[in-house]
Amino acid sequence: MTDADARLKALFAEDEPPARDPVFATAVMQEIARRRFVLDVAFLSAGTLLGALVLWALWPVLGPLLKQMSASLAPLAGCGTLAVAALMLVDRNLGTAFAPKSGMALNHD
Amino acid sequence: MIPGGLDEALVEAAQAGSTSAFTRLVERHQQAVRAFLRRTCGDWAQADDLAQETFLAAWSQLGRLEAGASVRAWLCGIGYNKHLTALRSAGRSRARERAYEAEKPPSSAAMTDERLTLEAAMAELPPDQRACVALCLAADFSHQEAADALGLPVGTVKSHVTRGRQRLLQALGGPDDGR
Repeated sequence: MTDADARLKALFAEDEPPARDPVFATAVMQEIARRRFVLDVAFLSAGTLLGALVLWALWPVLGPLLKQMSASLAPLAGCGTLAVAALMLVDRNLGTAFAPKSGMALNHD
Repeated sequence: MIPGGLDEALVEAAQAGSTSAFTRLVERHQQAVRAFLRRTCGDWAQADDLAQETFLAAWSQLGRLEAGASVRAWLCGIGYNKHLTALRSAGRSRARERAYEAEKPPSSAAMTDERLTLEAAMAELPPDQRACVALCLAADFSHQEAADALGLPVGTVKSHVTRGRQRLLQALGGPDDGR
């Protein structure tokens, strides 16, 4: 590197931003989180709309079928709901018992 | 010198959806990208806005980054394209903004005379030449790396750097060593 190059490099170095700038990095990640949220909402809305349209289109067939089956399925649905609720309660209790103590939490994304 | 292995691991993790890996990439490369854009734009606030847009674009285009490619060069390339787009849209309203620019205080209050001269000389360079000078003379990019980043042939980068360097040294009033 010649003296002229070193002089240019030194002058250019005067406008160098800081090596660590948490404010800038945070602003970028906030904007990314905002965009990700908007994308998620759009995706979920599209899915919900599609589901509603399919249900609306199939309702003339599904409606009478469900009405026919509802009498025989009601006890089964009740049992299923109770089983799922019991599983959730057991899972929550187990989760509390084996959760890491404060200060030992793993660093997940 | 930026260790490429760590970049590769971070890119791989970010491509797999890790937000913290992408945050690390932003932290590691924000200085290089912002410095490059400050030198090519001249306007620090606009450069930082463009740098932010660069990282947002990088986040959505991360899947296109080839394994082993220089992340720093890739980011600077995205930033340069953003800068060119901003230049094109600014060109339409340039006359209106010129008066405002003339009255605007310089980006840094504590600039030396030499620094101001350099900034003025940089502003006189064509955008391609300015970008080549900013990468090769200020940020230690190799000619090949700059060519990859800017999408220019290596020969063009070399001639841009030589001419740009000559013009900057002339403006600064220093001896030109004839390189």
